[in-house]
Amino acid sequence: MIHLKNLDKQYKNGDQTLHVLNDIHLKIEENEFVAIMGPSGSGKSTLMNMIGCLDQPTSGEYLLHGTDVASQPEKELAKVRNAQIGFVFQQFHLLPKLSAMMNVELPLIYGGVKKKERRERARIALEKVGLEDRVNHLPNQLSGGQKQRVAIARALINEPSLILADEPTGALDSKSGTQIMELFTQLHHEGATLIMVTHEQEVADYAKRIVTVRDGEIIKDRGQEHVVPR
Amino acid sequence: MSFLDSVKMALRSLWSHRLRSMLTMLGIIIGVGSVITVVAIGKGGEAVLTSQFAGGGNNTFEVYYMPPDEELMDYDAYDDVAYTTEDLRAIQEMPSVNQVIAYAYDSTNVVYHQEAAGAQILAINENYYDLNEFTASSGRLLDNRDVDNGRRVVTLSTGVVEELFATDDEPVGQIVNIEGVPFEVIGVHERENQSFFAFQVDEVLLPQSSWPMLYGTDNMDMLNVQANSADDIQVASHAVTNYLNDQSTLSGEYQVLNMEEIEQGISQVTNVTTMIIGGVAGISLLVGGIGVMNIMLVSVTERTREIGLRKSLGATRGNILLQFLIESVTLTTIGGLIGIMLGAGVANTVSLIAGWPFLVSIPVVLLGVGFSMFVGIVFGLLPANKAAKLDPIEALRHE
Ligand SMILES: Nc1ncnc2c1ncn2[C@@H]1O[C@H](COP(=O)(O)OP(=O)(O)OP(=O)(O)O)[C@@H](O)[C@H]1O
Ligand SMILES: [Mg+2]
Repeated sequence: MIHLKNLDKQYKNGDQTLHVLNDIHLKIEENEFVAIMGPSGSGKSTLMNMIGCLDQPTSGEYLLHGTDVASQPEKELAKVRNAQIGFVFQQFHLLPKLSAMMNVELPLIYGGVKKKERRERARIALEKVGLEDRVNHLPNQLSGGQKQRVAIARALINEPSLILADEPTGALDSKSGTQIMELFTQLHHEGATLIMVTHEQEVADYAKRIVTVRDGEIIKDRGQEHVVPR
Repeated sequence: MSFLDSVKMALRSLWSHRLRSMLTMLGIIIGVGSVITVVAIGKGGEAVLTSQFAGGGNNTFEVYYMPPDEELMDYDAYDDVAYTTEDLRAIQEMPSVNQVIAYAYDSTNVVYHQEAAGAQILAINENYYDLNEFTASSGRLLDNRDVDNGRRVVTLSTGVVEELFATDDEPVGQIVNIEGVPFEVIGVHERENQSFFAFQVDEVLLPQSSWPMLYGTDNMDMLNVQANSADDIQVASHAVTNYLNDQSTLSGEYQVLNMEEIEQGISQVTNVTTMIIGGVAGISLLVGGIGVMNIMLVSVTERTREIGLRKSLGATRGNILLQFLIESVTLTTIGGLIGIMLGAGVANTVSLIAGWPFLVSIPVVLLGVGFSMFVGIVFGLLPANKAAKLDPIEALRHE
């Protein structure tokens, strides 16, 4: 489903060129659960943004479901992000003035779904992350873990084929982190494709495959078959 | 994404910054409000001026005698102006003429016992009441039986009463002398609908039929003609002046005021004033628009992360552009509407105090709304475009 071919990403800073991603080759199939690990500044987030169609590579090819992303117009990419990709961020990125429900239904608004259906689907998504009793709460009335669950409900609402999570547990205590990871595992069992960036080995251990990045290059890529701890 | 959803989103966002939205609108409110006020007051004033000159819109015009240039300053030149009973009958019979309102007048003393008061003596018939409405504050007004029977009765204006009678005296029923002829006072009259810049004259109204007793002639020296309709005014005024000039042995000429010219003149004056003040108000709208742009730019910067997030959730550039454009247009439109209401309120108050007609016209209101929407689009475009062009990753990373 995802195929990256000799992907490069460079930033020009004056006369210096910063190679953030270097000749990346990566293939990810449907229903995989992949963790991306690596030291800070190694290019993990840049890679995720590329996969999420938020960023364009300097050179190389990115095929999503067999189509070349680079050749798509901006409007088409917005549609892909809306319908096929769900983002989960370390800082949650909820809109502070909107209730949990309204935050969750945002992707459906851009997808042109009617209000009644939006409300119904947002309610179901919030139920799925265990927040059916927090529907009308504002983000600052929720705990960190609850905020992240709202964000996950928002990522799920359009039933995307791909969920991208950049350090989803990075801002959470370990108990909330565990809850989030259990939710991801459940989504994986239900058939979702998950890619997750993390610094923590325990979190990465939930994934079935770990890709390690250093200085913009993939230095390790191995499957792991061990059972999720606890 | 539906347009309605965009509007709702914009309204919600404006509502969440109520105070700021209100302050931003202020410039537009003041701009539109002053435009509406100025135009309404200008129109009201114009309507008043025109109606005053055009005989209150009852199709009446005044005929006057214009001596030749060299006699203009000569008071005697006017002395021979006289409309005979035959003249008046001939004019009355013209097809475009509805009625003739002629009267005679002189300035002389009215005497009661030892007291004397200078006053305008007007010899009228009941047609005169069509030129100006009168009410009797005590007693009654002259009527057609007084005229038909040549009764020696008068009504006095309040000013004359005050000069002749002590405060407690009842003037009605008393006898006053004019040019040595005794008249019975039957009422005290007042002119209605006096505009605020007309001054009250001391005057005495008496029946036309008793005029010869005082001056030995039944010639009238003032002539007003009421045409059948507004369209007939032109025809009637030509017919009347042609008739009078043909009959006349005087070196001058009979003329009527040309209403159209006067109306145009008034209109020009008020238009120029309206344009000048409107221009100043327009500048305040411009400043208001710049204020909106300024706040929208701040808002875009503040909401950079929100914009990045929305893009990551599938918002297109168009969606973001529209969202911010709707916000600015909503700001200016609501501001414009409030401004219109405020302006209409002020114009209403002014016209109430001045006794003018209230003239906030639909086109002006529509123009106000349209213009404030336009300001919203023009000054919203730059911030909205800035928002739409934001790179989602950098926007999301924005602190
Ligand atoms: N817009 C940019 N301009 C210049 N350099 C950039 C830009 N964005 C990212 N970089 C650089 O690219 C490198 C990789 O950044 P990236 O955010 O992908 O790292 P990361 O692996 O996600 O790190 P972390 O674990 O700390 O989140 C960093 O050195 C960063 O400074
Ligand atoms: Mg990162």
